[in-house]
Parts: sequence; C-alpha cells; structure tokens
Amino acid sequence: MLNKLALSGIRHRMRDYTVLFSGLMIASAIFYMFLSLAINKQFLSSNSPAAATAFIFGFGIVLLAIITIVYINYANTFLLSMRQKEYGMFMMLGAKSSKISKMIFVETFAIGAISTIIGSLLGIIATKYVSQWMITALDMQIKHFNSFYLPALMWTFIFFIVLFVFSALRNSVSLRRTKVLTLLHKDSQPSKIKRNGGVKAVQAVLGIIFLVIGYFAMWYIGKNAGFIFIGVPIALVTIVIGTYFTINSAITAVISLLKRNTKYSQKGLNNFTLSQLSFRIGDYTKILSMVSIMFALALGAITVGLGFQKQIDTVVNGQNYYDVAVHNADTAQKNRINHLSGDDQFNYSYKTDDKNKIVYYRTSEFKNQPFHYEAFNMKSMIATTKTSTNVTNPDVSYSMQQNMLPKYRMSQIKAVSDAKYNKIQAASNTLTLVKTTSFKNNLSKIRTISKEEAKRYPELKQAGGDKYTAYTMINGFFSGLEFMGFFLGIAFLAMLASCLMFKILSGASGDVKRYNMLYKIGTRQKVLRSTISKEIAVLFAVPAGLGIVHVLLGLQMFKGILFQPYTHIEIPFGIFIVLYLCYYFLTSYLYKKIVLK
Amino acid sequence: MQKIVEVKNVEKIYGKADEKQFKALSDVNFEVQPGEFVGIMGASGSGKTTLLNILSTLDTPTSGSVKIAGQDITTLNNNEMADFRSNKIGFIFQDFNLLENLTAYENIALPLALQNVAPKKIKPAVTSITEKLGLTEILNHYPTELSGGQKQRVAAARALVHEPSIVFGDEPTGALDSKSARALMDTMTKINQEDNVSILLVTHDPFSASYCDRILFIRDGEIGQELKKADNSRGEFYQEILDSLGTFVE
Repeated sequence: MLNKLALSGIRHRMRDYTVLFSGLMIASAIFYMFLSLAINKQFLSSNSPAAATAFIFGFGIVLLAIITIVYINYANTFLLSMRQKEYGMFMMLGAKSSKISKMIFVETFAIGAISTIIGSLLGIIATKYVSQWMITALDMQIKHFNSFYLPALMWTFIFFIVLFVFSALRNSVSLRRTKVLTLLHKDSQPSKIKRNGGVKAVQAVLGIIFLVIGYFAMWYIGKNAGFIFIGVPIALVTIVIGTYFTINSAITAVISLLKRNTKYSQKGLNNFTLSQLSFRIGDYTKILSMVSIMFALALGAITVGLGFQKQIDTVVNGQNYYDVAVHNADTAQKNRINHLSGDDQFNYSYKTDDKNKIVYYRTSEFKNQPFHYEAFNMKSMIATTKTSTNVTNPDVSYSMQQNMLPKYRMSQIKAVSDAKYNKIQAASNTLTLVKTTSFKNNLSKIRTISKEEAKRYPELKQAGGDKYTAYTMINGFFSGLEFMGFFLGIAFLAMLASCLMFKILSGASGDVKRYNMLYKIGTRQKVLRSTISKEIAVLFAVPAGLGIVHVLLGLQMFKGILFQPYTHIEIPFGIFIVLYLCYYFLTSYLYKKIVLK
Repeated sequence: MQKIVEVKNVEKIYGKADEKQFKALSDVNFEVQPGEFVGIMGASGSGKTTLLNILSTLDTPTSGSVKIAGQDITTLNNNEMADFRSNKIGFIFQDFNLLENLTAYENIALPLALQNVAPKKIKPAVTSITEKLGLTEILNHYPTELSGGQKQRVAAARALVHEPSIVFGDEPTGALDSKSARALMDTMTKINQEDNVSILLVTHDPFSASYCDRILFIRDGEIGQELKKADNSRGEFYQEILDSLGTFVE
C-alpha cells in the first residue's frame, strides 16, 4: 500500500522528476562521453604528439569525477526535499521508520540506476554524432576512435552505481534520524543569517593573493615548458581557493555596496534582488567557484583546440605560397583550375637534362611573373611572403623545388635566355602555379586537383610537396589535439551548466512563497519576471566572468606551443557564450514556471 | 462622503459550466465607510477568504461589482490590479509574509520602493510609521531574529507605510500568543482612531473581532447577521459576539 502511495506521489510531481531524470541522464552521458576519450590509450597516443596529453586527461577525469559527485549530491538533495514531506506524512500515519528508510533507499537507487543506463546509451549516441559533426565541420583526421568503448561504459556504470549506493544510504539514514515534525515542516525552516565582516575582508585579500599566484604560475609555464608538471597543480589549487574566496567575499562586498547606495537599492525590487543574491551567495559559493573553474577549463579547452585549428592555417601557409602546382595541365586539370576562386595563375616552362641533373627555366618568365615564396623566421615563428625574379637564389630554388616533380627535386636549377632555352634539345614542360583567394575555401577543389595530379604522376603520392599534401600531414597532426580540446570543452560546459541549473532550480520551491507575497502586495508580473531573470543572470554571470578572466590569463601557458594564442579568441568565446546563454534561458524559463503562477 | 468599500450582488462560482460547480459566494452586499473598522467572521469554508481575495483584487467575482475608494476593481486588467494593490491596499497576513532576506526596515520600505517613490522620501515615511508602532529598535533585524509579535507589527508597518485607502487583515492574530495578539489589536485600533485608516479584518477569533466597530457574519457564502459595537465596551461586545456565534452557527 505504502509503495503504491509513494508511486502516486511520484506521478503527481512528474515535472520535478523529469528535471531530476534528465539532469542525471545528462551527467552519466557526459561522463561516458568523456571516459570514451580519456581512457582510450590507443586513441590518445595515436592522435596526440604530446606526452602531456594523458596527464591532462588524467586531471580531466579527476575534475569531472569531483563535479559529478557534487552534482549527484545536489540532485539527491533535490530528491530528498521533494520527498521528505510525503514520507514524514507516512510516518505520522504510523509507518515504521525502517520501512520508510528502505523505501527511500530503493527510490534513490532505482532513479540512479535507470538514469545511468539511459544516460550511458545517450552518451554512446551523442559521442557518435558529436564526434562526427566535429570531424566533418573541422575537417579532422581522427584515428582509433569509436563511440562505443566498453571499458568507458563499465567505468561509468561502476562510478555511478557506487555514487547512488552512497546517496541512497545517506537518504535513508537522514530520514531515519530526522524527527517527523521536522520532516513535515521542512519548507518553513528559516534560513540563518551570518554576519562576519572581518572574516570576509581577510578572505578578499587572500583570494586575490591566491589568484595572483595561480596566474603567475600559468604565465611561467608559458615561458618555461618544463615547469608544467609542478605549475599545473599549483595553478589549479591556488586558483580554486582564490576563486572561492573571491566569490565569497568580493561579491558580497559589491552587493552590500550596492545596497548602501539607496538611489539604486530603493528603486523597485532592486533591494529584494540584492538581498536574494547576498543570501544565495553564501549558499552558492561552492558551486559558483566550481562552475567558474569548470567554465575556465572548458572555455580554455575549446580556445586552445581552435588555436590548433588556426595553427594549421599558419603552418600550411608557411609551407608553400602557391595553393596548387600542376605539371603539363591537361584540359580537365585546366578546367578545375579555372573553377578556383582568384585568378593568380602563373605558368613557367621548363626543360630537363636528366643526365646532368639540371632543370632549365626561362629568365624572361620570372621577369614577367616574379616567383613568390615564404621565408620562415624560426625565431618569431612567422613566415613572410617574398618575391624574386632570380630563381637561382638558394632560398628561391628551395621553394621552387617543392613544386617540382620529385625526380627533379635534387636537380640544379638554371635560368636561361629564351634563345638558349629554345636551343635545348628536350621536351618543354609547363608548371602551373595557382594562388587562390583562400586555400581553405577552395579546399575540396584543391583536393581533387591534387589527387588527379597524383594519378598522372604516381611518384607524387609518396613525395607530396604541394600545399595540399602538407595540409593533410599537418591537419592530421593537429586534429587530435583539436578534437580533444573541443570534446573536453563541450563535455565540461554541459556538465557545469546543468550543475548550476540544478542548484538554482532546487531552490525554486522555497521562492514560491516570496514571489507570491510580492505579487499580493502589488508587484506586476512583468516586474517579477524581470527580477527572476536578473537574479539568475547574476548567478550565471559571476562564474562566467571569473572563468573568462582565468582563461584570458591562462592562455599565457600556451604561448610556447601555440602561435599567437590570443588572435581570434572571439570565435571560441562566442560559441561558448552562446551555449552557456542557452542554459541560462532554459534555467530562467523553468524557474519562472515553478515560482510564478 | 465616498465609501471605501462598496460590494454589490457579488457572486463567485468555482468550476466550469460543464463541470460540477461550487458556489463560494452568493449575493454578497455590504459597504465600509471611511475610517471604519469592520470585521468579517465565519467558520472555515464559509467563504471569507474568497471574499477577501476578491476585495484585494487577487481574485475576480463571477458576477456583481466591487468598488474600492470609488474605483470598480472588477474591470481592471492584471497590471492595473497590481498597481491598485500596491497603491491603495495594505495587507496583514496570518503568517506575516515578511521576506526573511530583508531587514525589518527593508521589508517596511518595500511597498514604497515598488511605487518608485524617491529614496529620500522613503526614509521619513518609514521612520514615521515605525515610531508609531514602536519598532525603531529593531529596524536592522532580520525577521528570523524577531518574535512573532514583532514580526506582525513589522507587517502592519509595511501595510500602512504607503498610506493605503484600506488595510486588509487576514487572521492577523492567528499565529500570535494572547499578549502579542492584544498588543497588535490595540495598535490597529489606535491607527484606526488616530489616523482614520479604514480596516477590514477577516477572522474567526471573537477576541480580535471584538476590537471592530461592526461585524458581518458570513456562512456558506452568504452574509447573514450584522453586529454593531455602538456604545458597548469591548468586553460587552465580545460577549455579544460569542452569543451571536452560538446562534449563528447552529
């Protein structure tokens, strides 16, 4: 009978349970997605040249495990807060506490197990589609990656089952220990007020000191890569503590400053919003700090991932000025070339002396169409485009050789007058070099030309030398890193945002009374809505703001391995903020649904 | 003189036409004059909360008209209702309904802030009402740091600070001990008499009701008997209420 009642209780709160279920499913799905990458050693070693990758992913697992534990803890509190009144009523009506604690144990465990199973399945599907999307969108080459990875699935199950056994035990013990009356009136327990200005001031100072140490460590890693194994843990610990203290003290200070400014605070519901926030901050410090760290890690991962993508362009463009090199173009190749955007086409005639290993060019052609080449400065890691009419200059010859057929690359290059060229007893060949307006935008056409060229001159298959071959090689090298960065970033973002959403939503039921009272004393619905939006916006913005600062300073770490890590960061930041905003709007919408009539 | 409350033929029916319907109020008519202290008494389920909700624009009648300070509140839209409540009405609830994250001062100032009153005018208004209600010492306390009686006086100050046309009390002494209840009712009487504030009190407690000038008894959604204090002392009026309740309930 009691079981039936409990089930009907669940049916009545279907909406709350849907939030709970979907949250838990997202958690296990993300955990699986992450593990499918992080513990796949074959994938890691074949896609990343850096030995530090496994180390970074190790850190990732620890962090994700911590955030998952916190997340499950919130979800569990949410569950208990939904159920305790009903279970309290059963106890009041005479149900034995042992029976009740068994019921809550079964309920918690069942919810956990079901959501883990469904979540992992979702994780497998999501891994497949997300990875496919990323691989095609960013033209990546990924080896040894499979969306279904058994060890990852096993570990996800083990981890979540253990967590839910603990949560279920905790719930049943806590129900058994709490008095029936407290259970019945849990909603009306007042929150306590803390006044500790002195402690807050010390925290504010300590917070800034810790942050400075952390930022310094990251900067130093950028200068001295060997410092990474000590620097990363130092930065992680100090920034975590610094963030916690800063949120706990500085934010409270800002709020009380605003409250003291009566012009602002005594306007409309501003004072109410500020008070809600200052009460919340105490309760939210932990989660906001965690979210801010996760935010930084996730955004950092995506930024660095895209940084590698940018690196591809820079490195590829530094390899060869010309996008296409075609020998003795036939009509089909000519047609393809004409379809490329941009009309910078250069034709150079050449004759070869296979015996003496010499390749002859016409001086006049270089006079009319100077040769472009990339001079790479090893110190600044920047390639600059230069032009020359003298193809025998060693730098120029070297660049020219890349465009020649492999069998002539070791030959000497000579430039001769037209008269002399005509006298040479050999067939004349034409080398067509094309510079398009953008290598990337013409990629698929260039790919076809390069493949056709390799069919016509099979020796090119092995030796490459043209820009497309260089691109394939470099792209393969960076794709692994980029893929990991993106995957890490999106997994963390989804996790942190759902975590924050859950925490905020689990407090919503306590706000129903407050907003109802404001409504009764004559607050317009629109004002109530905007108050809620503002309040939740601050809770989302505080960790995001700090997270962005962490990333901006943390990018210093990558100065050694990434070329100009700060250029175009608006792209990853933009993507990230849009996704994060979606979570904000969803949270705000759900919150209003719960709180307002 | 303009009546503060004018209720004519008010009816409230719950449930749609094709469903089982329930008549919570039927043909309710009464008036409240400026400066009057009126009580509405009835048992649980008699319709007094429905009536209060309609008077305070939290609910609308199925038919009939309700005028507060000359304004027909049944024709207002949602925003106008909200504005009307914040300008013209003061509320005192049984469970105080104070915001526990605001101090007593901030709670009291809330209705003024809602009306966007200039901050420099807020302080004198709050000071004046809190002095009258003896709350100056506890203005910086949060509700959790206050006793039940203090909380209800803060709630009363909040209901009065914006000088509403009428104050509605919904069982304001319901959660108080007898001493605090007496103090609160004394305060309300004082405000009613000295400042000429109209008060409409909904209660089922004869003691609180005995402070009113006039009492309307409501049963099964209909207003039955009416009792006037006139020149009786509070004690005599209390006895009279008890007698009426005895006969009215039967």
